Amino acid sequence: MTLVAVVLLAGIATRAWAQPPDAPEPPPPDAPEKPAVDAPPIDEPEPEPIDDVVAEPEDTELGPLLQIERIDVEGNTATQDHVVRRVLPIEPGDALRASDKRLQSAKFKVLALGFFRDVKLELKKGSARGQVVLVVTVVERGTIVLNRLWFGSTSLSPYWVGADLSERNLLGLGVTVGGGFIYADSGDVEGARDQWAGEARFAVPTLRGSRFGANASLTLVHGSEAFRVAGVSGDPQNAELRAFPYRRFGGRAGVTYDVTGLTRISGSLRAEQISTELPVAPTQVIAGQPVAIDLHLDPGTSRVVTLGFVYDRDTRPDPILSHSGAHLALGAELGSAFSDYRFATLFGRYEHFWPLRNNKHAIAIKIAGGVVVGNAPRFDRIHIADVNRMLTPRALGLVLSTASPLDILGTKAGKPSYGDLGGHATVEYAVQLFRGRGKKRVYGSDLFFGVGLWGLAETADLRSRDTSLRDALPIDLYVDAGVRLDTDIGIFELTIANALGRVR
Amino acid sequence: MSRALIVLLVLVGQVAHADDDEKTEEQKMRFVERGDVLTVTSAALTKLFDTAAYDALDSGVASTVVIRIWIYPQGSTDPVAFVLIRRQVSYEPWDEIFYLNLDEPGGRKKLKEKRQADALKRLTAIEDVPIARLSALPFDQIYLLAMQVELNPISKETLAEVRRWLSQGTGGGLDRGGAFFGSFVSVFVNPKIAEADRVLRIRSQPFFRPRP
Repeated sequence: MTLVAVVLLAGIATRAWAQPPDAPEPPPPDAPEKPAVDAPPIDEPEPEPIDDVVAEPEDTELGPLLQIERIDVEGNTATQDHVVRRVLPIEPGDALRASDKRLQSAKFKVLALGFFRDVKLELKKGSARGQVVLVVTVVERGTIVLNRLWFGSTSLSPYWVGADLSERNLLGLGVTVGGGFIYADSGDVEGARDQWAGEARFAVPTLRGSRFGANASLTLVHGSEAFRVAGVSGDPQNAELRAFPYRRFGGRAGVTYDVTGLTRISGSLRAEQISTELPVAPTQVIAGQPVAIDLHLDPGTSRVVTLGFVYDRDTRPDPILSHSGAHLALGAELGSAFSDYRFATLFGRYEHFWPLRNNKHAIAIKIAGGVVVGNAPRFDRIHIADVNRMLTPRALGLVLSTASPLDILGTKAGKPSYGDLGGHATVEYAVQLFRGRGKKRVYGSDLFFGVGLWGLAETADLRSRDTSLRDALPIDLYVDAGVRLDTDIGIFELTIANALGRVR
Repeated sequence: MSRALIVLLVLVGQVAHADDDEKTEEQKMRFVERGDVLTVTSAALTKLFDTAAYDALDSGVASTVVIRIWIYPQGSTDPVAFVLIRRQVSYEPWDEIFYLNLDEPGGRKKLKEKRQADALKRLTAIEDVPIARLSALPFDQIYLLAMQVELNPISKETLAEVRRWLSQGTGGGLDRGGAFFGSFVSVFVNPKIAEADRVLRIRSQPFFRPRP
């Protein structure tokens, strides 16, 4: 029976509206009737309908051809009409039927702007027979986004607080402006100072209705970086740390191109000035001997100029509570001839989700990694909190903690804070707690468990070792668990790693 | 902490209602052997249409109803029969006529209706629908019929496209590495597109084929 069902369903999956090959034909009108009999009520477990066929209809040529005379946009008080018109796949003069795919998709093209709570389409009589007016009625919504909220306390910084906000539809023009600011109090590390950083951003997701977009940002960082001068493993005491001040000021300008609705490529130019007062000859005392350390910055003022490229393809139907699809992002950045640092970085991230148990569970692999080649500035190298989410992440480039990673596997002691080769690979299992449907304000929630490995290394350290292979491996275990919530007021992850990252 | 508290308060207020939407309704149906097929007759699926959905029938834009029917043996979740029905209606404002395409076992029927109520009836009627060959239904075995009915379903690709801006990041910043490793948490007004305007899940009473 299972085989019959599989064959049936395999058949229908190939074409959305084809009937199963074994579907019954209607009986002849004069066929004799014989009723089936009701069985006694049974306490039957709920059969699981199979998520089998493509949902959206193909164009079925329903009704007569109509010509679009004009397009009216209604209900918009803040958003300019042209912002809506430019994403519609229909223009005045087009001839179509009511079932045309362009008409079916128009609603979702407008919703994909992210500016509207609801969109309705209507075809009304035009000025002559056969002509119609397409009326697009929108319901606007708030477009201010709180992207990040930073707060926490560590021995390096007794407290830090900050936020990052965006307005995605400035003056109804479809333009995004935003920015963030963070302030971090300094601890008692010698040479440390209070840190702060600010960033301003501007983006036009769609240039004049084309597939091209543009963005630009300015960032100013007033920070201090701590480095270890004594000891090699465990959380460093503040007395084992020194800090040096630095200032970064620069910007990035880029263009994006939407290859398809799910694939985007982008390129950017970054120019930045770094000013720092480095210690004359920084060393770290290891086994009683001072060893020179490289802080990966040029003394005084230096310049970073890079070209960056990113490829991004995201096929997840739900980017928040993902149970299927995949997300691939590849990025490269090259230090140009105008830069004091000659380097290249290559980063990648791949996530793949497989639905299980009728889509109520999911298993995913998540792999992210990067390599830095050449003389990259300190800030472009991979930080340990980038690859180990159980540590305090950097915020607008500021390092807020010097905590060592948890030593779970007993591998290399004294893993580096920065490296040029790093990444993590995780297997995650998610269980659907609930899904709201219709007009509910909590759309859904998942409980998830993740386990994997993270690693970070200086490639120079990999070339030679004086311990066993296991003791030299710069990798360790990563575990996390928590709850993801998708709600009317935003997206939340309440996780163990997130909590650890605010207090260590 | 305050974020977590807000979320938990919202969650407590909403989670019970969220569960209500998942409920499957049990409905009495009539099963009849006609020739070599089993047919089903059920109450019309008018609950699929609320006032707004009914009003949208004469908007000029096509409305689509997709009905999936499975027959399951008692104690199994493997269907022995499956039928897919798709019905689509659109209103032509000049002739003031409802055009209907009904894709059902046996092929497509093209119909016209003058009245909106009649168009709704065509969209939602389950009358003598062939659902299985009798050869697939041994005598005396107890079966259940499960039906999922969707109004204007949306493909997964469209859903992905509509919410893609959520995962596109903020588009700026000097450092790119963190963006490749990190996750994101955002607070904003976050309307979500459902996989269909409305979904009904219906289950029949248990039934069996008596021996001749």
